[in-house]
Amino acid sequence: MIDEAKGERRWRNLLGMVKRPKPVVGATPADVVHRENKWSLLRYRPRPEGVAFETPVLLVPSLINRHYVLDLQPGRSIAEALVARGHEVFIVDWGTPGPEDRHLSFDAITDGYLGRAIRVAAQHGGRGKTHVLGYCLGGTLAVVHAAVRPERIASLTVLAAPVSFHDEGLLSLWTRSSTFDLGAMIDATGNVPWQLMQGAFQMLRPTLPLSKAAHVIDRAWDDEFLDGFFALETWGNDNVSFPGEAYRRYIEGLYRADGLMKESFTLSGRPVLLRNITCPTLAVTFAHDNIVPEESAAPLIERIGSTDKQRVHLPGGHVGAVISRKALATLWPTISAWWAAHDAEPEAKVEPKAKVEPAAQEKPRAKAKRASAKAR
Amino acid sequence: MIGWDSWKKGFDVWENATAKYLEAWMRSPLVLGPGGALLTAAMRSKTAVDGAMDAWWSAVGLPTRRDQERALHALNQMQSRLIDLEETLAEIRAQQKQQASTKA
Repeated sequence: MIDEAKGERRWRNLLGMVKRPKPVVGATPADVVHRENKWSLLRYRPRPEGVAFETPVLLVPSLINRHYVLDLQPGRSIAEALVARGHEVFIVDWGTPGPEDRHLSFDAITDGYLGRAIRVAAQHGGRGKTHVLGYCLGGTLAVVHAAVRPERIASLTVLAAPVSFHDEGLLSLWTRSSTFDLGAMIDATGNVPWQLMQGAFQMLRPTLPLSKAAHVIDRAWDDEFLDGFFALETWGNDNVSFPGEAYRRYIEGLYRADGLMKESFTLSGRPVLLRNITCPTLAVTFAHDNIVPEESAAPLIERIGSTDKQRVHLPGGHVGAVISRKALATLWPTISAWWAAHDAEPEAKVEPKAKVEPAAQEKPRAKAKRASAKAR
Repeated sequence: MIGWDSWKKGFDVWENATAKYLEAWMRSPLVLGPGGALLTAAMRSKTAVDGAMDAWWSAVGLPTRRDQERALHALNQMQSRLIDLEETLAEIRAQQKQQASTKA
């Protein structure tokens, strides 16, 4: 009887799929607190009882995906869950680059824009610092920034963030292929079209569209599953192009030169040394992540100078393990508890050898600004 | 239902095996090399066509697409520099306020 009911609902849902209302995504109430060029900084409205922690949280999504992956659906939103736990949550919405943003440099994004987002978020807390959480490429940007400008970062959390780029994954091999002319691509396209990048991601699992179709038919009786599936598909097909100059630097400096591992990468003219990251750091890697394999994300914890560092390795893939109901019930409460434990100034806990090395100390702002302007 | 479940199980096995095979094939230099060459050739052709269009456009004294992009980018950079200055001013003001309150 149960199977019959399921079968009937499956066919009804499959036939009604075309008329199914569009999923509501990114619905947690938020206000824009800063806007610059195409990007903006959103602050989720705190819960009615008020904020429970002194240090705000800044979420940094990938540059090529929409920010609402972390606020997918009511009841299935990380932002919503963090707000409910009493965090003051900010998120970077990178926006959609225009054709003129082909000239936007990696330094302008990682030092200029991300730096500003961190400063604005930090101003809202009592410590003048913010917890920073970077997801995927957003995590790499946060790592690069934290290695050079650590002053306002209370702690660093990275989810599936690549730092070592010389792995045997398809993306790594493709970008290092001798016949792939990066300059020709950027000259022709300006911003690297999202369709091209999405095509590359499809190559990672060429049978994925078929597999998805079979899975949808299999679970079509489950309305909750379908809502989540279509919300995720909406996000997955709503990508943005990569600013050309930033992409050139990303591929040449990180993918081809493996600049973070070989300590050859710079940000606004200053060396990016992972050992200069001394803030409490939590890195989360996923066992079935075919976009950012474990060997690409795991070395961060080994390389940084923090004494308070932790790596959590979980089953699951690049997106599912972050936004699933299971993640909402296990991963995010763990991260929230970790932030709560690092809510106060950690000076008393830090051992003397964990001090920031002189090379990583922030120079007076005017000086840094000149260097930044020069680099641009 | 039993028929569907059996089909799904079979499909999963096939999908997994095929994906593994295709993933290995995609990583082969025999695919990556010609794939990269093809993409590069297409991009160079596009650049050549765009260049010819730009030349024609500027020959009649009009700003090209690239000129407009450069101008807009410069405006965006100016906006960022202005916000930098505002931030610096706000910091100086905050410091002055703090110094004044310490003195008082």
